[in-house]
Amino acid sequence: MTEPDRTFLPRQYEATSALDINHNYLPQQFADRDLILAKIAEVVARGDFTLGREVDRFEDEFAAIAGTRHAVGVGSGTDALFLSLKALGVDKGDEVITTPYTFFATVGAIVTAGARPVFVDIREDYNIDPARIEAAITPRTKAILPVHWSGKPCDMDTILDVAARHRLPVVEDACHAIQATYKGRSAGSLGTIGCFSMHPLKNLNVWGDGGVATTSNDGIAARLRLLRNHGLLNRDECAVFAYNSRLDTVQAVVARHLLGKLDAITSARIAHAAYYDERLRSIPQVIVPERDPEVRQVFHIYVVRCQARDELQKHLIAHGVDAKVHYPIPMHLQPAAQEFGYCHGDFPVCERVVGEVLSLPVHEFLTSDQQDRVVDLIERFYAGTTR
Amino acid sequence: MKVPFVSLDRQFRDLQDELTAAFQRVGASGFYILGEEVERFESEAAAYCGTRFALGVANGSDALFLPLKALGIGPGDEVITCPNSFIASAWVIVAAGARPVFVDAAHDYNLDPARLEAAITPRTRAVMPVHLTGRPAAMDEISAIAARHGLAVIEDAAQAIGARYRGRRTGSLGTAAGFSLHPVKNLGVLGDGGLITTDDPELFGRISLLRNHGLRDRDHCSVWGYNSRLDALQSAFASVKLKHLDAWSDRCRQIASLYRGGLEGVVEVPRDQPHEEAVYHNFIVRSEQRDRLASHLQEKGIGTRVHYPVPIHLQECARELGHREGDFPEVEAQARTILSLPIYPELQDEEVAYVIESVRSFFA
Repeated sequence: MTEPDRTFLPRQYEATSALDINHNYLPQQFADRDLILAKIAEVVARGDFTLGREVDRFEDEFAAIAGTRHAVGVGSGTDALFLSLKALGVDKGDEVITTPYTFFATVGAIVTAGARPVFVDIREDYNIDPARIEAAITPRTKAILPVHWSGKPCDMDTILDVAARHRLPVVEDACHAIQATYKGRSAGSLGTIGCFSMHPLKNLNVWGDGGVATTSNDGIAARLRLLRNHGLLNRDECAVFAYNSRLDTVQAVVARHLLGKLDAITSARIAHAAYYDERLRSIPQVIVPERDPEVRQVFHIYVVRCQARDELQKHLIAHGVDAKVHYPIPMHLQPAAQEFGYCHGDFPVCERVVGEVLSLPVHEFLTSDQQDRVVDLIERFYAGTTR
Repeated sequence: MKVPFVSLDRQFRDLQDELTAAFQRVGASGFYILGEEVERFESEAAAYCGTRFALGVANGSDALFLPLKALGIGPGDEVITCPNSFIASAWVIVAAGARPVFVDAAHDYNLDPARLEAAITPRTRAVMPVHLTGRPAAMDEISAIAARHGLAVIEDAAQAIGARYRGRRTGSLGTAAGFSLHPVKNLGVLGDGGLITTDDPELFGRISLLRNHGLRDRDHCSVWGYNSRLDALQSAFASVKLKHLDAWSDRCRQIASLYRGGLEGVVEVPRDQPHEEAVYHNFIVRSEQRDRLASHLQEKGIGTRVHYPVPIHLQECARELGHREGDFPEVEAQARTILSLPIYPELQDEEVAYVIESVRSFFA
């Protein structure tokens, strides 16, 4: 092996500030960081770095948003998923049903828990197709893990119905979906456990890694609290061998600072999505995200499907727009998935969609001028190719 | 006088300007995951420990867990460690799917190399000696036995950053090492953090993948991995603190020597061997009247702790390993008699003198 890469950086962190219209808006978002610093100084003065008061308060506030009895702060969205599966007893030999159209962490969490991911194809709305779940259930199935992709809740009634018939718990991957609702109920409160990420580019974000698991089941909440902190009943007694995955107190301060702004963040993203919808609808080569009157989509990402996607993406980037693909290679076709024996053609909708999807910047600081520029660029691109 | 066992606010007061500058810089950058700040701290830490590579991870447990996974240790394997450590030392072995095999401690609280060979079986894959209290384990003896049996040596250096063994820093003494940057550690950040050091480029490459979802690049996942990264913000704090670490370690050794001078003959005190330079994450004294001594000190306003009152093999979570009282007599005897006195660089000489006087008054 030659000298390895120092560190692989997600692409959003490489080029971002070179572009005018991009996905990373963090310097703007944290322009008022002196306020956060003052609050952190209080935490430091108390020496309260691990769990503690700020984390407790954050958890109460977060549970109120998710509409659950409990929220448990953990190290990351990945760990929220992983610890949830462990709290439900998922282990070696078990299967967990999920979607192949997701971020790696969804599958990583299942594999880390010792289980095997069983994929089910998606619908045109990018979410797992509930009609196909039942056929994937085997005696080894231990949980269903739907992903509310892009911030659009899955068809939960159908999923919960299948799950109930087979007595399976449902873990919502709500990493994209804070404040999303389904028939009036919040993402994170729809299944047995809900999992959220507060990665810096999420709608509610902290200055590093952070995650939350939500549940209304007291026993599961207690189990999650044990699992995230070495299985410790108190300083000296360990009930079960368990993990270290805690939301940093300092990050809880950042998160609480943003909770007051969350309504505005969500509304801005929804408004920007609506504006794109409106303007993009007239471009025949572009399909705007599917809408469902019964759900509130919070647009962690705004994903269109388009013709000549790769060329369009290059065109947008060349003109200063940070257009991205989330993600071009489905999970079942990743090199890491070879051991599961899937192949091309197994999930035709997913495999088609990944060649067409493009995410346009939709964050809360986007201006309508910027959105107009994005759409104008798309219009010009297709005008050029059709000429 | 009140002498708290831990007083993190004192260090923060001293470093407030530097830490605030780091906070402002990272905040304004908008880069919070991996990136420049993390890489800078990683190169500084590697240079400090004298290794080719260092990797920032989410916490000290992961700093031990990820090297085990990267070495391919899993179900059916055994890893040898000490039962007198923080629970995470054994946990990481269980998390990797392997079985922790304990070896009793020597009188210095570290793994007794004389008992190591008897614990090795055909299933043993690695030895994970703990540098407990910041004192390096008997690495020459351990490494020689490990080499004879083809075992990896992973240093559990969670408490021992900066300590030296025959002139070399902990972190550079085995196949790989895991450090904790938990706030109360000698190099502590403002939250959870961990650090892995190694000279092995392959191991480094595998751990780099494992800590970041197994991602080869943004779109390709070569192996299902974990999410275990040291936050950029915490890396910036760690860089600030690393510059002060040697001075802090010197001060801790000075405090240790004050304690030794004042308590020799009253309670049993730890001492350095000529070839070791401990960093005194903890200063542990021993007394048959430990519990009464602790209450006495508490009445005097002095915070103490026991590291650790229940050995890992007797924890509820370890039941499935089938141990019982008497399996590790040295560790069990230690657990009944050890007491950790306050020790941190900001502790004042008057406070040290007060602790000494208070211990002496108990026995007077």
